[in-house]
Amino acid sequence: MALRDVKPTRSELISIKRRIALSERGYNILKMKRDGLILEFFKVLQQAKESRGALQERYERAMKAIALANTVEGAIAVKAAAFSVRDTPEIAVRSRNIMGVVVPEIESSSVKKSLVDRGYGLLGTSSVIDETADAFEDLLEAIVEAAEIETTMKRLLDEIETTKRRVNALEFKVIPELTEARDFIKMRLDEMEREELFRLKKIKARSPS
Amino acid sequence: MEVAVVGSSEFVVGFRLAGVQKIYAADDEEKLRRYIAAVLEDEEIGILVMESRDLNRVPPRLLSTLENSIRPTVIAIGAQEGRMSLRERIKRSVGVDLWK
Repeated sequence: MALRDVKPTRSELISIKRRIALSERGYNILKMKRDGLILEFFKVLQQAKESRGALQERYERAMKAIALANTVEGAIAVKAAAFSVRDTPEIAVRSRNIMGVVVPEIESSSVKKSLVDRGYGLLGTSSVIDETADAFEDLLEAIVEAAEIETTMKRLLDEIETTKRRVNALEFKVIPELTEARDFIKMRLDEMEREELFRLKKIKARSPS
Repeated sequence: MEVAVVGSSEFVVGFRLAGVQKIYAADDEEKLRRYIAAVLEDEEIGILVMESRDLNRVPPRLLSTLENSIRPTVIAIGAQEGRMSLRERIKRSVGVDLWK
């Protein structure tokens, strides 16, 4: 709001005062929201670091296992075993609310399978393939967990950023401009009052009494 | 919802062994791009698993779509380079480099 758009009237002054009060209240609330979100974020960050470590470790184990299986059994045998696995791991997504941010809660079912449930038959394959399947099931579990945490983190980061923008816009743009306008109107009204007084004095002096 | 895996054939076979149905073996960049686009279209997929090595071969524009995508959530595993983006975002949003 540029200063020249401000009309120096008393009603305008009152409405600007009201807007300043409102902006300040909003500013305080948003500031608290930002701090709360950052606190939540710290908690999630800790979890994220842990899940990252687990993921990395399981990934390395799984890649070693499959390389071994490929060497021992041959790539075709591994593929054949892989394509006879029928049980698909299902994931269910529910949502949770952290300070107005909707974050997913992912749950997986039937990731871990017993030897018999895998479906590739026990006679045709060696234990190397079982170990590989086991390693990848572990990895998949870690991935599901990491997915939940990373999505949560992304959403929280987005929310933190918008909240931060709002707080800063209020603090450095909206409130200073309104204050400036209020001061301008006050000065202008005082000035008009003084002019009026002076005019009255002049008239009084001129009139014969 | 389901899990999808895009990556080298060795990588995806392992996941097939763990029961994942939607596996896409991409050997070259063209296929990689096509499969990722297909996965992004698929409503049923909740998590997309990729290797960070492959993620580096994706064109920048698609990469940023993947990084900001929440459904499906993209999880890159493998070497650490893929973490830079999240780290950058933390730096930008919070103002401090909190990752490690």
